[in-house]
Amino acid sequence: MALILVKYGTNHPAEKLKIRSARAEDKVVLVQNGVYWALESLQTPAKVYAIKDDFFARGYSQTDSKVSLITYGEFIDLLEGEKKFIG
Amino acid sequence: MKKLLFVAYQSPVGSIWVNETFRTAFGMYGEDLDPSVLLIDEASVALSKGTKPETIGLLPLSICHKYIKNYGTKVYTIKQHLEKFKVKELDENFKAEIIDEADLADFLHSFDYVIFM
Amino acid sequence: MKLGIQVMVPPYTYQDLDTAIKIAEAALEKGHEVTLFLFADSVICTNKNIKPLRIDRNIPQKLIELMKNNKFQVHICGICMDYRGITTEMIIEGSKPSGLPELANLLYTCDRFVNLMA
Repeated sequence: MALILVKYGTNHPAEKLKIRSARAEDKVVLVQNGVYWALESLQTPAKVYAIKDDFFARGYSQTDSKVSLITYGEFIDLLEGEKKFIG
Repeated sequence: MKKLLFVAYQSPVGSIWVNETFRTAFGMYGEDLDPSVLLIDEASVALSKGTKPETIGLLPLSICHKYIKNYGTKVYTIKQHLEKFKVKELDENFKAEIIDEADLADFLHSFDYVIFM
Repeated sequence: MKLGIQVMVPPYTYQDLDTAIKIAEAALEKGHEVTLFLFADSVICTNKNIKPLRIDRNIPQKLIELMKNNKFQVHICGICMDYRGITTEMIIEGSKPSGLPELANLLYTCDRFVNLMA
């Protein structure tokens, strides 16, 4: 349904609202400091992804992430699947 | 027609984003687009009758009022955010519609693009 | 598909231009068309006088390289340029001073839109 882009960390008021609004048929993508959300299990029915480069650049590895890590190419594939955008 | 929602979350005094959110929304009418504005968190303070950035030399919010009237741009805010920031008396010029935070997910999903500023 | 990307925050201070460039590169690689709309402080990145440290990336130069692909365009909010003292003589070749009518047209015609919020 919608691609929800999250670029700030876990204390950001707008990002909290976006994540709370996500539905099962949405895709949430964590980018930049939004990847800090990937360190804990997110309370959302939506499928969540994080940009791998942004996650690794902040000193984490695959095992630290609770969500799927994706490339920018895979981000474009997700974007093609979702007409609506929230971010 | 695509439905657009421009969302401001930063304070109307101290940052330009409420003004820019309205300016962007008003710029959409040349195309077959239906823009609305949502003021959340600190940006909801813009709706208070007493909020006047011009009193400290900043760009006034009131420049938005005539365009809201002329274009009929819909302005929304969230009940719980008005309460959090103790916004008591609303400036009628915004003609803001108050929605409940519990209805926000449905509301956001009713637009094609939700653009946070 | 036609993809619109909007950026609002300044280059170098924040990562948004870098993110936008990476998304654009990935989209172009898949044959998509990309328009980058620069709003507010992000317009600074089109100043051709930008001179980063040698170990740092050159964002205006990256945009010039990307514009060699005719499926990539850069539009700059004109009022945002005026507010920051950026004249048309100062901007990188190929980028276009525009404004909200162009953003409206982009939002109307694009198949997908990615916004990097402020």
